[in-house]
Amino acid sequence: MACRLLTRSAAARLVSHLRRTPGPTQRLLAPRAALSSLLGSTDGLPHAADSTLRVPARWFSSPSTDAVAEAPVTADGLTVDSIASKGWTILPEAESDWRSHAAAVAQSIKLIKKRLKWGWILERTKQLSVVLERPDLWEDPVFAGMVSREHGELMGKIKSVNQFEQELIEHIEMLRLAREENDNELETESMGDLADMRRNAKEKELNALLSGDNDSCSCFIEVQAGAGGTESMDWAAMVMNMYRSWAQRRGYTVTVVEEMPGEVAGIKRATIKVDGEYAFGYAKAEVGVHRLVRISPFDSGKRRHTSFSAVAVIPILGDASSRYQIKDSDLRIERFRSGGPGGQHANTTESAIRIVHIPTGISATCQNERSQHMNKASAMAVLQSRLDQLEIARQAQMNAEHTQSLNEISWGNQIRSYVLHPYRMVKDLRTNYEVSDPDSVLEGDLDDFILNYLSSALDEADVSK
Amino acid sequence: MAMLAFSSNAFLRPNPPGPHLRRLLLPKPLSSAAALTPPTPQADPTGGSNPDPDPTPLFLRPASHRVPAAALAAFRLRAAALVPPSAPHLRRHLRWLLADAAANDPASGSDPALLRASLDDLEALWLRHVRGRRPFQYVVGNEHWRDLVVAVREGVLIPRPETEAVVDIVKRVEGFEDGWWADLGTGSGAIAVAVARELGAAGRVFATDVSEVALEVARLNVQRYGVQDKVEIRHGSWFEPLEDVKGKLMGVISNPPYIPNVDLPGLQPEVGWHEPKLALDGGKDGLEHLLHLCEGLSSVLKPGGFFVFETNGDKQSEFLVDLISTKWSSFRNVEAVLDFADIKRFVTGYRR
Ligand SMILES: C[S@@+](CC[C@H](N)C(=O)[O-])C[C@H]1O[C@@H](n2cnc3c(N)ncnc32)[C@H](O)[C@@H]1O
Repeated sequence: MACRLLTRSAAARLVSHLRRTPGPTQRLLAPRAALSSLLGSTDGLPHAADSTLRVPARWFSSPSTDAVAEAPVTADGLTVDSIASKGWTILPEAESDWRSHAAAVAQSIKLIKKRLKWGWILERTKQLSVVLERPDLWEDPVFAGMVSREHGELMGKIKSVNQFEQELIEHIEMLRLAREENDNELETESMGDLADMRRNAKEKELNALLSGDNDSCSCFIEVQAGAGGTESMDWAAMVMNMYRSWAQRRGYTVTVVEEMPGEVAGIKRATIKVDGEYAFGYAKAEVGVHRLVRISPFDSGKRRHTSFSAVAVIPILGDASSRYQIKDSDLRIERFRSGGPGGQHANTTESAIRIVHIPTGISATCQNERSQHMNKASAMAVLQSRLDQLEIARQAQMNAEHTQSLNEISWGNQIRSYVLHPYRMVKDLRTNYEVSDPDSVLEGDLDDFILNYLSSALDEADVSK
Repeated sequence: MAMLAFSSNAFLRPNPPGPHLRRLLLPKPLSSAAALTPPTPQADPTGGSNPDPDPTPLFLRPASHRVPAAALAAFRLRAAALVPPSAPHLRRHLRWLLADAAANDPASGSDPALLRASLDDLEALWLRHVRGRRPFQYVVGNEHWRDLVVAVREGVLIPRPETEAVVDIVKRVEGFEDGWWADLGTGSGAIAVAVARELGAAGRVFATDVSEVALEVARLNVQRYGVQDKVEIRHGSWFEPLEDVKGKLMGVISNPPYIPNVDLPGLQPEVGWHEPKLALDGGKDGLEHLLHLCEGLSSVLKPGGFFVFETNGDKQSEFLVDLISTKWSSFRNVEAVLDFADIKRFVTGYRR
């Protein structure tokens, strides 16, 4: 017991030593730099704030509240970076080898930083801090709110990575100390902590895949049948089912917003709403054209057919300030009603609603609800998101970060191929990831495809920034 | 508690539940359920106007029937087979019927399914809907109206989608939240409940009707939405029950019976055969009640008070706007307001 206490206090001393970092680095910025260049997209990432930026009349330079702590170091000079570059062998998790654990965690941290676009995040935070210092900032509360929110979010990411690095170094030090003091119990415990960190790091790697602007939002998924009649409409219905079961497996709530059934089978087009954290972040990986090859169940000649479906994914923005402002007078609301005198004369359960945004021609339909009132509310939500998407696209000036709407998707942009005949395979044409069991994929087992795509998109991106 | 009101034995049907779907499926071809002109405007052929043995709305009944998933699936198929291609809306009705009957999400596929009625009862309900043109809303005992699920049953008008806008019209009145409102001829109480839910602490709705059945249903809806403190239900003809609040109302709302009596025989069967004449018959030109309401307005409204009436459409509304603004000088901003089909469905105005 006493021994234990002693070790604990030794550990506490050690930790406090480690945390004594030499204060925030002061980075002064060139005073004459225009704000617009400071806050401009440094690497083409979209920013809702860009369009509202103004060059300040005057501003003060002051010590920025820089987030970046000095890299933590062990007593014998190890840093996370140096561990990562040592090339220590990474053994299976069950092996109690601290070097292996440490190397695995350090590699993960490196990957996480890359996925978060670390260099860009640091730069952006620095710029935002400068803006936050402006004395006249809160004269425009909407802009100020946007800046401080973004700053807060980025700081959160930076802090959580920094803490993780700190933790790694602490555990290594603790282990060394335990060995020096021949404290077997503490050694086992620290080894366990390192192994835990390794598992934790894997999870963080995944989370870092979903660190885009709107990734945490709920979303709409839209599927549209390609040319080819019933054949394609049936395929579109299969694709829609695939997403419904995928979403349900992930614990998301799925509601059908709009569905245009095909004359014989399947759907011409449908929209579902997928509610839940990171629904957009995952689903955006599915945007594009999905191709099916099979023996047609509709062809009496049993010939092989190729069908196409287009998939679009729209984030449902949570933050009102970045949303497209819809004017009531720009809307035309259509109800599907038979003519006639209506009112007390008629009994109907037809409650479908279509709302057209006249200036853009964008429209939304909802028929899932049992009252017109509710269908109108749902259709408005879809319309709002479609217009938001347009706005995001406008602000991002068509760079790669926005997801395409159905109209924008070209039928040539095939992302995945599902072959049921003459062999069985699903292959992602972007990552070349493939599986030989189309049934499970069509039943919603999509996560591997999605994660593969997300990681390849981020990990292979240019990291010069 | 409120449901007790519905379990009166007087409604018990003398005959056992209707014949089984399977038998019906066999020989005789079904006449289209969607044909708009019925052969004869008698009561429906499969059960007369007898209400259900249990008049509690289906969706409020206890889920006390365990039904094997396979039996439910078979029912679904048999029921769907009764839907003629000319009546695709019945597909959606079947889906909703099963959704209302099920205690758990029908999509979850639990086995056994927990239902609020036996399959025999559901068959009987479905038949009376498909063959007897009994309105779907009476079958399930509710109408989804605005964001509410309004309980309804035979004897009470099913709230119409056009009427949803009345609540929005009321909400545009400055300071409406804290006023006293009257909903005359409240029927199911749909308007009264929806308005009450928008009111502030001082706001109140007096909901009146001459029909006891209507008031019973309105009471149930008021309770289901917990607006007892805001809605006061009163029995009587038009302004009669409002003697004590004369000159104190911020607004009068009414969707009175407005169908010209000559139009009554030609109504769609769901309406003409099944909904109460008391709720539809507007007398000569459909204006009888509307005129009476216009006459009484200025005595119950406080100065600056607002009114909104639903009408039969363009001709009635134009007539009323003209009448109110020329006959009396006591009203201003009298106008006809369009419904979603661009029909002049409402007349609104303010007392000077
Ligand atoms: C068209 S329904 C409207 C029901 C309900 N307000 C709605 O919008 O769904 C007309 C209502 O007026 C009631 N009514 C008929 N004559 C009445 C009278 N003389 N006094 C009060 N209410 C009356 C009927 O019972 C019926 O409920």
